[in-house]
Amino acid sequence: MIINEQTPRGPVEASAFENGRLMNHDPTICIENLSYQYPRSPGLVLRDINLSIHKGEFLGIIGPTGAGKTTLCLALNGIVPQFYGGRFFGHVTVAGLDTVDNPIHLLAQHMAMVFQDPETQLIANSVEDEVAFGLENVRVPRDEIQKRIRWALETVRLDGMEKKHPSELSGGEKQRLSIAAALALQPEVLVLDEPTSQLDPLGKQQVLATIRELNAHLGITVILVSHASEEIAEFVDRVALLANGELVDVDIPSRIFAHADLLRQHAIRPPQVASFYMELRDRGFEPPSIPVTLGEAARAYEPMRTLIEVNPLAVPSEASEEAFGSVVLSAQGVEHVYPDGTKALRGVSLDVREGEYLVVVGQNGAGKTTLVKHFLHLLEATAGRVLLNGQDVSNLEVSEVAQRVGFVAQNPDNQIFNTTVEAEVAFALQNLGIAGPELAERVEESLLTMGLADYRTWHPLSLPKGDRARLVIAAMLAMQPDVLIFDEPTTGQDYYGAKRILDVTRQLHQAGKTVIVITHHLYLVPGYAERVVVMGKGVILLDAPIRKAFHEAALLRSTYLAPPQIVQFAQHIASRENLSSPSLGQDHALPILTYEELAACITERKDKA
Amino acid sequence: MTWRTIGSVRESPFTQLDFRSKLTVMFVATFLAFFWQSPPLTAALALVILILCLVAGIRLSYLGNMLRIMLPFYVILLITHGFWNTNVGRTPIWIAPETWWLIGGRLQLTAEGLAYGFMIILRTLTLILVIPLAIFTTDLNELIVGLVRMRIPYKVAFAFSATLRFVPLLLEDIQTIIEAQRLRGLALERMNLLQRLRVYSRIAVPLILGAMTRSQQIGVVLASKAFSGSPDRTYLHESSLRTADYAVLVLCFGMLLAALVLGATTGLGRFGMPGS
Repeated sequence: MIINEQTPRGPVEASAFENGRLMNHDPTICIENLSYQYPRSPGLVLRDINLSIHKGEFLGIIGPTGAGKTTLCLALNGIVPQFYGGRFFGHVTVAGLDTVDNPIHLLAQHMAMVFQDPETQLIANSVEDEVAFGLENVRVPRDEIQKRIRWALETVRLDGMEKKHPSELSGGEKQRLSIAAALALQPEVLVLDEPTSQLDPLGKQQVLATIRELNAHLGITVILVSHASEEIAEFVDRVALLANGELVDVDIPSRIFAHADLLRQHAIRPPQVASFYMELRDRGFEPPSIPVTLGEAARAYEPMRTLIEVNPLAVPSEASEEAFGSVVLSAQGVEHVYPDGTKALRGVSLDVREGEYLVVVGQNGAGKTTLVKHFLHLLEATAGRVLLNGQDVSNLEVSEVAQRVGFVAQNPDNQIFNTTVEAEVAFALQNLGIAGPELAERVEESLLTMGLADYRTWHPLSLPKGDRARLVIAAMLAMQPDVLIFDEPTTGQDYYGAKRILDVTRQLHQAGKTVIVITHHLYLVPGYAERVVVMGKGVILLDAPIRKAFHEAALLRSTYLAPPQIVQFAQHIASRENLSSPSLGQDHALPILTYEELAACITERKDKA
Repeated sequence: MTWRTIGSVRESPFTQLDFRSKLTVMFVATFLAFFWQSPPLTAALALVILILCLVAGIRLSYLGNMLRIMLPFYVILLITHGFWNTNVGRTPIWIAPETWWLIGGRLQLTAEGLAYGFMIILRTLTLILVIPLAIFTTDLNELIVGLVRMRIPYKVAFAFSATLRFVPLLLEDIQTIIEAQRLRGLALERMNLLQRLRVYSRIAVPLILGAMTRSQQIGVVLASKAFSGSPDRTYLHESSLRTADYAVLVLCFGMLLAALVLGATTGLGRFGMPGS
C-alpha cells in the first residue's frame, strides 16, 4: 500500500497542541512520486514515494535493513542523484529548492545530515575543527563559530576534548561529535540517519532530548532514522514506515506501533511496553490502549490496577561458579594509560571461566574495548597482568593468543582483506600451517556453521553487512578458539539482524565456547548472557548475574546506561503495588528481563471490583 | 593516527609560528641546500635544520627512523661519488692494488669525491628534515588558511591539505589490516624480510579498495557539509604574522640575501673554494 500523504492527519495536530506548541503546517520538504535506482542496483530502491514533511515537524523513519531509509535521506539533500547518478524519477523540494536543480552545497545550507557510520564522516584534525568546518562553509562569523562550538560540544558531552584528534575518540564519542557538528549548524532541516547507534542509552536520551528541544524552540524540522522503536515512539510526531523502497504507512507513533500485524509483516520490533500490553491483550486482558512510551504505559496501568494482581516471578536458579570450568581469562589489576595521558583502565580485575557467556556493558569510553584488547595482547598493560589459561599474555605473540581467543571487531569491514569468502576463512588456517584436506574440511565446516557455504566464491565486500560479520566469525571459528570476543556486534543491525548475530553467539556458547560480548543494547541481551560486567570510567562497577545487574537502575545510570524499558516499567509496577524483594529492595521486586515474563506475573484479580 | 603522531611532535614555540613563516624557512633552506656546494656550509645548514627539528619537538626516535631508512642510499651515494666522480675527484686516498683483475690501479677513492658525496648526503638530509619541520608542526586547517592568505586558490589549498590528511588515514588502514591479520594467526614477528614483503603486497588490494570507498564517502560528507571549494567562507583559525614570525622572515631573507651576495662576490659556497 502506498500512502499519498499530503497533509498531516488530525491526531498530529492534537499531539502538537498537547506538546504545548502549534506545528507549522507549511511543508518544508515535498516528495512527489519519488523513485530511484542506483547505477548498479538491479531494481528500484525507492518506489513512488509521496510525502510532505512540515516545518517544525519531528518525523521518524523506520523499516527493516534494505528498506531504502538511507537512500531516502540522501535524496533529501540532493546527494541522490547528484553524487551517485542512477535513475531518478519524481521531485523533491527542500525549503523550496529542487534537489536536482540546485547544487548539493546550496541545499546543505538548509539541511544538515548525520550519517550512520561516524568513522566515515569525520574529516577534520581536531574536535573543534570538525564542528567548525560546516559553519565555515556557510560563512558563519568566527566569534559565532567559537560560541557554537562550545555549545554543541557541551550538548553532546565532549567539552574539554576540543583539541583532540577525532581518531583518538571512541566509537560513541565520534558519533557524538558528528551530531555536534550538525547541531552547531542549527539548520532548517536536520536529517539523522541512525545517529545514536553507538551511543550509550542515557547519551542517546540526552542527545535526542536536545534535538527535540531545538525542534521545539527553533522550529528545526527533524528527520530521524532509527531501529530503536522506544526512542522513535518517545520523540517523534509522526512515523514513516518504509519497506522494500515503498512508503507503507505514515502515522502517529501510537497508531503505527500498536499495529502488531503491520510491524510483524515488516520485521519491526514494537517498543517493549507496547509488546507487553499486546501480550496482555492476547492473554485475555483488556488494556485501555496500547501505549508506546513509558509514560503512557504507566498511565494505562492505573485503570487496570483494580482488575489485576501482580504475582512474584518464579526466578529460575542461577548457575553457580562451579557450573563452569576453570578460569580461562584473568585480568589482574590491569591499568592502561594511552600515550595522550588518558587513563582508560584503573586496576581492573576480572576472571572469565570456561563456558561462560559474559556481557560487558558501560558508557562510551568506559574502557570496554581497551580491556578486551588486553585479553588479545593488542595492548600492553601499564600495570597489572592478563593471564590466558594461567599464562601471562605479555609472553605470547598476538598470533599465538589469536589461536585461543577469537575477536570480532566493531566494524567487520576492518577485518576483511581477501578477495573471496572462502579465501577469507582459509587465511588463518594457512597461517597455522594447515593445508590439504584438513584445510578444506575446516573451511567447509566454518562456512556451513555460519550459513555462508553458498557464497564461497563471492567477494566478501559484496555481502550484506550482517553476513560480513558472520564471515569474520567464520574466519575466527576456523582457528577453533576456546574464547570468542564480540565488540558491539549488533551495531547498525535491525532487530532481527541483531538477533540473528546473537543467535550465532548462543549457538557457539552451546557448543562449549566461552563468549564475551560488548554491547550497549541491553534489551537484546536477555536469553543470551548469564553474567553482566558493568564498567564505568575504567573500573568495574558491578559484576553480577543478569537479573540482578539489569535491576540496578541507579548504578547503571551512573555509567550512562539505563535498564531496558520493560525493566523500568516492572520497577514502576513494583513501586505502585508496594512490592519489595526481602533482600534486595523494591527495584528487584519483579526481577523480570522480558515483557513475556512481566505479562506472566499478571493475573486476574479474584476479588475484582 | 595524525601527522603529529607520525612525527611524534609535541607543542613547542615552533608550532605557534604562522605557516607562512615555516614555508619561508622551508624555501630558504631548500634554496641554500642547492645553492651551496661547499660541504662545511651544507653541513652547517643541515645542523641548523636538525636543531630546529629538535626545538620544534620532532623526536630523535623519528629522526633516527628516517636515517635508518636513508642509510642504504647514503652508502650508495658515498661509494659512487668517492670512486667515480671524475669531475671533482683529484686526490686519491686509496687505489685498488695492481693485482686486482680489471680494476687494479684504475679504481681509486678520491678525497674530493667523498667530500662531494657527503655534501649530497647533507643536502638530501636538509630536504628530508625541513619538510616535516613545516608540515608536522602545522595544523592542517592553519595550513589551508596560511596558503589562502598567500593567494593560493582555496581549492588548491584544500586539495593539498586533503592529500596530507589522507596519508595518516592510509597508514592507519595498513595498521588495522595487519592487526586483523595477526588476529588470524599471522606471525609477522617470526617472518624474514621477504616473507614480510609478501604480506605487505597482499595488503594492497584491500587498501586500494578501502581508499576508493573512503574517497567516495569523503566526497559525500564534504558535499553534505556545504563544501563547494569556494573561497567565500569564514575560518575558525586566524592566520596572522606575529613578532616571532617577522623575526623569522627577516632572518631567512637576510640569510638568503647574504648568501647570494657573498656567493657572487667571493664565490662562497662553491665546491673546492678555499675553506670549503
